Amino acid sequence: MTAAGVPGRLSAVTDRLGDRTRFGLIVSLGYVVSLVVFGVFVAFKGAGAISVYHTIISSTLLNSDALQQTVLRAVPIGLAALAVTIPARAGLVNVGGEGQLIMGAVAATGVGVAVGPHVPGFVSWIAMCLAGAGLGAVWGALPGVLRTWLGASEAVTTLLLNFVANDIMLYLIYQVWKDPNGSGQPQSRPLAHHAQLPKMFGSQLNIGVLIAVAVVALTWYLLTRTSWGFQLRVVGGNVEAARRSGLKVKTLLLSSMMAGGALAGLGGAINLAGVETQLRPDITLSFGYVAFLASFLGRQKPILVVGSAVLFSAVALSGNGLQLNDGLDGTIVDVLLALIVAVPLIVAKYRKRAS
Amino acid sequence: MNGIEQTLIGGVSGGTSILLPALGELISERAGVINLGTEGAMLAGALGSYAMTQSSGNIWLGIAAGIAGGALVGLAHAWLTVRRGGDQIASGLLLWFLALGVTSVYGTSYVGTVITPLSNIAIPGLHNIPWAGPILFDQDILVYASYFLVGIIWFVFYRTRVGLTLRATGERPEVVAATGGKPQLVQIAAITIGAGLGGLGGAQLSIGYVGNWFNDMTSGYGFVAVAVVLFAAWRPVRVLAGAYLFGIVLAAASVLQAHGVSINQYLLDAMPYLATLIVLALFARRGRSDTPEALTRSLSRSGT
Repeated sequence: MTAAGVPGRLSAVTDRLGDRTRFGLIVSLGYVVSLVVFGVFVAFKGAGAISVYHTIISSTLLNSDALQQTVLRAVPIGLAALAVTIPARAGLVNVGGEGQLIMGAVAATGVGVAVGPHVPGFVSWIAMCLAGAGLGAVWGALPGVLRTWLGASEAVTTLLLNFVANDIMLYLIYQVWKDPNGSGQPQSRPLAHHAQLPKMFGSQLNIGVLIAVAVVALTWYLLTRTSWGFQLRVVGGNVEAARRSGLKVKTLLLSSMMAGGALAGLGGAINLAGVETQLRPDITLSFGYVAFLASFLGRQKPILVVGSAVLFSAVALSGNGLQLNDGLDGTIVDVLLALIVAVPLIVAKYRKRAS
Repeated sequence: MNGIEQTLIGGVSGGTSILLPALGELISERAGVINLGTEGAMLAGALGSYAMTQSSGNIWLGIAAGIAGGALVGLAHAWLTVRRGGDQIASGLLLWFLALGVTSVYGTSYVGTVITPLSNIAIPGLHNIPWAGPILFDQDILVYASYFLVGIIWFVFYRTRVGLTLRATGERPEVVAATGGKPQLVQIAAITIGAGLGGLGGAQLSIGYVGNWFNDMTSGYGFVAVAVVLFAAWRPVRVLAGAYLFGIVLAAASVLQAHGVSINQYLLDAMPYLATLIVLALFARRGRSDTPEALTRSLSRSGT
């Protein structure tokens, strides 16, 4: 294994450094290598590596419109990533962010279209967000119950429920909620204008972004500063020890799945009520799976996870710029995303050694 | 030809695109490693076989390229998870994204092109059997290959030493190591061969069942394959049944619509997933012993 040899040779140089510093160096080197590999890949497709990275940064961060788009996409990805993180701290694997996002968007559409026209805006904003979080929590509770009471692996049931959620959404779009004025497009009726989440300060950012920031802060607090968060970590660390010290393991596991589902559902609702304004197929664009990888990259630490979500949001968005400026296929950004996530996987062994 | 027969023919043909990757996933999971990268392996196999068939004009080379494309994805998964000890779910998802990106970039030039797809071969004698003949014995070569694969995999699993080592690796890799076996090598081989079958399934889709290439053409079949393995409780013959169940449901929707029956396709599509969930819920406790233990350990860290 060549990569195993590299740190071996490196260790001669870095022996005097502390384990953590050495690990930091290896990781940084890993990211540099993955960026170089992507540069070589785009060069094969006839684009310049420097130009490509310039496009990625300028089309996602450097102009105000683009930055706002990055933030808007980071909301569903970030909340769905925390939906992975919360159960992960209790040792559960939630691959169901996609389905939970979808059900959040479905609930928000149902509520928004039904009551939106008849009530003042702020009532429908609250109702949509609560409905999204509520149905998301239910969608997280299902695999939670299957796991705690019946022993079915949540990694698998959450994955299956993504497809069920998607089929439910498609059924609603094509049949029950089909927009009669949609000129054949499969989509639901749009939300009434006043029912949509309002934009702030003349920007494209809607108040959902503020809600998301508040929820992220709350999640960070709950996970790191409360006994609930602590107990989740105890369960995640050693379930037997947790049980013997009298913790209600099943309740804790279930609550983590429901909290996660609620966050992802809220993310789906905000994305729908603030950005999309009507339900259509492919509304999630695999955000739920990207979110899983963001949570993994952020090592289940809330702040790092949200940072990773913003990064992946930018990477996903940069596909448009690469298509326009560098003549590349927009999907090429999936390769970059994969190369970034490969780094922590490849160095996983050294982390175990360093900590 | 009536609607039921049409559905079953489509079910076997389309079900094979699920059966092949599901058999691959079965091998991998029996060795204790879940591979969500199966979706990526299918994409790599679908494009690899399509591109090779088109450039060489030889469908056999196309099939070989499909297997190779899938195996390459499997090798990457094996390296990341077995050698580097990385998270299996994260590795699988990242390889899916990688394959999605690479096949979209390189596949765009093949969209809208034409090949001569695999032709159906009616088995002399057998295809005249009333009812079952046209369903089972008037299919393409990869469908026939899948019949044999189910048998071969069953035989290897339960009647050979290799199979015993494979299953032991999926249960207790440390015991295999203690008795002088090489569990890592077994897992790497299992994942690679399994993903090769995933690639073959992709090939069956692009140069067989569909006869075309378009970006993201597997649209979740690889994940369905993972579901089928669970539905089947890690048994080869049940994998066959599960794959055809999914295949038949997928085929039923279009046949029903053609016959003017108004049933919503998406509600129908959800049925196999719900069936799998119900099977998992009902048999999870009892099925605990069926689940390869090393797989359980790598999937979840809190054992309740």
